[in-house]
Amino acid sequence: MVGVLLRRLSTLAALLCVCVSACLPTQPPPRREIIHLHGNAYERGKQHGEKMKSKIHSFYTTLLTASLFPYLGREQPVIASLLNEYQGEQYQNGRFAYQLLLESAKNIEKSLNKNQRDELRGISDGSGLSYDEVLVLNTFVDSVLAVRGIALAIRLSRAPQLTRLEFAGAATDGVDNDGDSMIDEPGEGILDPFLADGAANAVEVPLNTRIKVTLKDPEGIDGPSLRLTLNGVLYTEKTPGLTLESPTPDTLVATLTPVSPLEAGATFTLVVTAGDKLEVTQPPPAHLSFMRDEELLFTTRGAGLIPSRVRRPALLDGRTRPPPIAFALTGASSSSGPLLAHHFALLDANTAHKHTLVTVHHPDDGSPAYATVGWAGVAYGLVGMSERGVGYACNPSDTLDNSVVGSVLDQVADLSKAKLTAKGVPIGFAGRRVLETSPDTLAAVQLMKGLTHVYGWNCVVSDSKGVMRSIEVDSDVFKSGDAVFTVAPADVDATGTRLASVTDDDLIVGSGYRLNTNDVITLNLAGQRVVPQKIWSTFFYRSRRVVDSVARRIAEGPMDVSAAEALLGDDELVDKSDSMTAAVLELAGKKLHYAIGQVPATSQPFETFDFAAPEPR
Amino acid sequence: MKRVFVLLLAASSTAYAAETTVLPAGTFALDVSYLHSTINKRWDGRRNARSLIDDIPRYEPGGGLQGILSANPTALYQGILFQVLYGITDWLTFAIYAPLIQQATVETNFAWQPGDFQSQLGRPYSEDDFWAWAGSLGQPRPPSRWVGNRSTFADIILGLRALVPELWLTKKLGLKVAGTLQVALPTGRPPDPEEVVAAGTTAFDLHSYGDVELHASWDRPFLVDSYGVARLNLGGDFYFSWFRPKTLPTPTGRKNPLLLTYAPYVGASYVQDPGDWFGSTLSVEASPFLGPTFATFVSGRSLERARSFPPLLTVLVSYSYVMVGQSRWYSDSAIWNYDKEKLWQPGDKNIVRFGATLSFLRLGVPVQLYAQYRVQDIIPGRWTRSSNVLTGGVRVIAKFW
Repeated sequence: MVGVLLRRLSTLAALLCVCVSACLPTQPPPRREIIHLHGNAYERGKQHGEKMKSKIHSFYTTLLTASLFPYLGREQPVIASLLNEYQGEQYQNGRFAYQLLLESAKNIEKSLNKNQRDELRGISDGSGLSYDEVLVLNTFVDSVLAVRGIALAIRLSRAPQLTRLEFAGAATDGVDNDGDSMIDEPGEGILDPFLADGAANAVEVPLNTRIKVTLKDPEGIDGPSLRLTLNGVLYTEKTPGLTLESPTPDTLVATLTPVSPLEAGATFTLVVTAGDKLEVTQPPPAHLSFMRDEELLFTTRGAGLIPSRVRRPALLDGRTRPPPIAFALTGASSSSGPLLAHHFALLDANTAHKHTLVTVHHPDDGSPAYATVGWAGVAYGLVGMSERGVGYACNPSDTLDNSVVGSVLDQVADLSKAKLTAKGVPIGFAGRRVLETSPDTLAAVQLMKGLTHVYGWNCVVSDSKGVMRSIEVDSDVFKSGDAVFTVAPADVDATGTRLASVTDDDLIVGSGYRLNTNDVITLNLAGQRVVPQKIWSTFFYRSRRVVDSVARRIAEGPMDVSAAEALLGDDELVDKSDSMTAAVLELAGKKLHYAIGQVPATSQPFETFDFAAPEPR
Repeated sequence: MKRVFVLLLAASSTAYAAETTVLPAGTFALDVSYLHSTINKRWDGRRNARSLIDDIPRYEPGGGLQGILSANPTALYQGILFQVLYGITDWLTFAIYAPLIQQATVETNFAWQPGDFQSQLGRPYSEDDFWAWAGSLGQPRPPSRWVGNRSTFADIILGLRALVPELWLTKKLGLKVAGTLQVALPTGRPPDPEEVVAAGTTAFDLHSYGDVELHASWDRPFLVDSYGVARLNLGGDFYFSWFRPKTLPTPTGRKNPLLLTYAPYVGASYVQDPGDWFGSTLSVEASPFLGPTFATFVSGRSLERARSFPPLLTVLVSYSYVMVGQSRWYSDSAIWNYDKEKLWQPGDKNIVRFGATLSFLRLGVPVQLYAQYRVQDIIPGRWTRSSNVLTGGVRVIAKFW
């Protein structure tokens, strides 16, 4: 009797279970995963592959197969017309991008050490993704940035160029407008030729100045596309206050006469952009060739600053997005001990945030544990810290001094056989080596100096003692003899202005060089002008602006972990489309605070990984 | 003795779409109706109306948000429902329901919300810009109007209804009780996995009935006259619908590489396990007008018998509450599974049905005409799609031997 009752009850319970299970709503898969890996490099890779198998396949497909590969594939006709090798059979039928990146990956593989190769093999064995695909997944960022850099520089070279800038009245106003300690010298207030610069283009200009901008393009300038935006006020072809003249078919001179006198002692940003008259139809959509937004900076009478000390105001015009940013704090600038904060944004593409994870390595060779914030299937992160309290964070820094340009240089004698091939150590793997081997910041600097780099990057390294350095790298393909430029908080430029700091206790690193500003000399290569970063990088002005935003905040007083987290989530620092990861490293406290899994990454509270806490079972 | 195609009297119960209707032994009911089913919204977890599909944000690698592609699709199913019911005994009726979809039409109503400023274009992407860009990546622009499933059967249903013998209690309460088992044959067609815009005809696609359903129903007639004709009927139904898990091919992106490349990480196929339903219905039918009654060949020239035939006009209103379980997807990718499952969470449907039947049996014509409107727009549901179905049909009661 009891048995029958129990059977009936268990049947009822089973039915209820079925019902309850059906009634329970689905739960999203975790986006803030933290995995602990133990053993040698291969074993850790294999554990990574096994634990993240589903996400590794998904990440590879959604980011590369269905997004980046077809996107790069659009460039094949243009590239193949210049470099005939890419007309070969192996690059046809949609295989161009994969083959291109695989060839670079194979080349880069030669620069990886055995442990790194073993780890990638482990990821492949654990996940079932082929080794070649894992290799591409782990190297494509540097390779693609290098190829993209070349394509962007070529594209912008065909767009209108800002060749001359004049602040009318500056040469007769009785003050020094260019910070050269001379007053009203001939040509003061005129920048001809105009060269982009991080510092202000003029200071202390008269309040009734007229700003004259000269644009040139062999195809002519398209008047309707011209936009001049002065501190948020837009001037176009038909706006009162803006007059246009074309002294020659390839030249347009725009003279901006503000409708009322400019505010005294203020900082102004004038954003200039225009397209040429030739419609480009391939690759679609059809468009004119547009110059990048040139952000001219000046102050009016009474501001009292030399050009290098003018900070760029926030520009919330909806046209620009903040680039990746990192900053380190210590001493009087931090109330939480040495901190390193990083917000990385580049290529979320509505998928990367679904595949983020914190990876904690526990090597079996007795070396200390370390953690990186990255993505499924990728052996590194662009931010990480070791149990020793050494941390790094890296941001891309556009340069034509990159290994892919180097590959063209090496083959320039016969371009019909040339290929775009990257080589060197991807920055993420360089960061891993810092965590694995460097006991402190200065050792990390030496390590970075010993590596060949695939592309341009700006990294900040800091340790538990608060020693911090900015490390600017390129590939030194022009053999200038230096591929790594180091900046300390106290370093200043020729005018005595700190290069990357507000005080001795901070260091701010954006996505543009502060020391390696002449990353390449201007030259012609295969009919193409090779120019420094500041001339063509679309990160250049944005980076300066965000660095200045962080500098303003640092100047307000010391920050703790929470304040650093809040700053990383500030509108001026958040790319709402491509934000990928954010982290604050508490280097003495051995804690890694991270925000991942959402776009923007900082739209959810940070979580904390504590090296001292026992590993969860 | 066989009588070929002799139309004969029918039971009065066939007047109702009542919950316990069975046919007399040897009697056929042949029913043909036209279905016009539209669906243009779904209910979210807060009972707010949403578009049938989520917005699709599109990103250019490294270029930020190109824009948000939104669609407000309207799907229209037009079909004919053939029903044949046969009274095996006076208490057991067998039925076949064969829904033949004449065509399904989907109007996509795409819209575009521009995204980030694109410096290389000098403008944000317009919708045309986006499709031109997508075209250069091998992604064709989906049609704004899709028509398919021409003359395609949906899942055909076989049903068996048994009238429960009267017990002391049901007699006391004046209740008629029946049980129904229906099974759907997998004759429907799932949507083409490689198409961005497509509609299927399986039970899950139509979301109107399950693969197997078990019903327990009751009717309580009121105001019954001396001929057994009730002027009012209260009915109820409790049922469970089970959907079978199906293994389906995963889109490979062969036709739509940008939008439907899933197979490399989802796997070549996946399993879709639709959430099952618990449903209940309460219906009220009234016959405000009995109509003139004649002794004709249908009643065997008997006026008394003709007066036991259904009233000329019967109207119906019913309400159904359907509890829908979580649908599950099983594949190699938990992320992909969730992207599907989040739209099919545990929820409910609130279905209101209005109907009217004109029965001409009393006039000597063994034909009934009926119309119904089954609507889910009136009372918002949760995590379900809101379809509205207009039905018009004709029913012939016949005895062939």
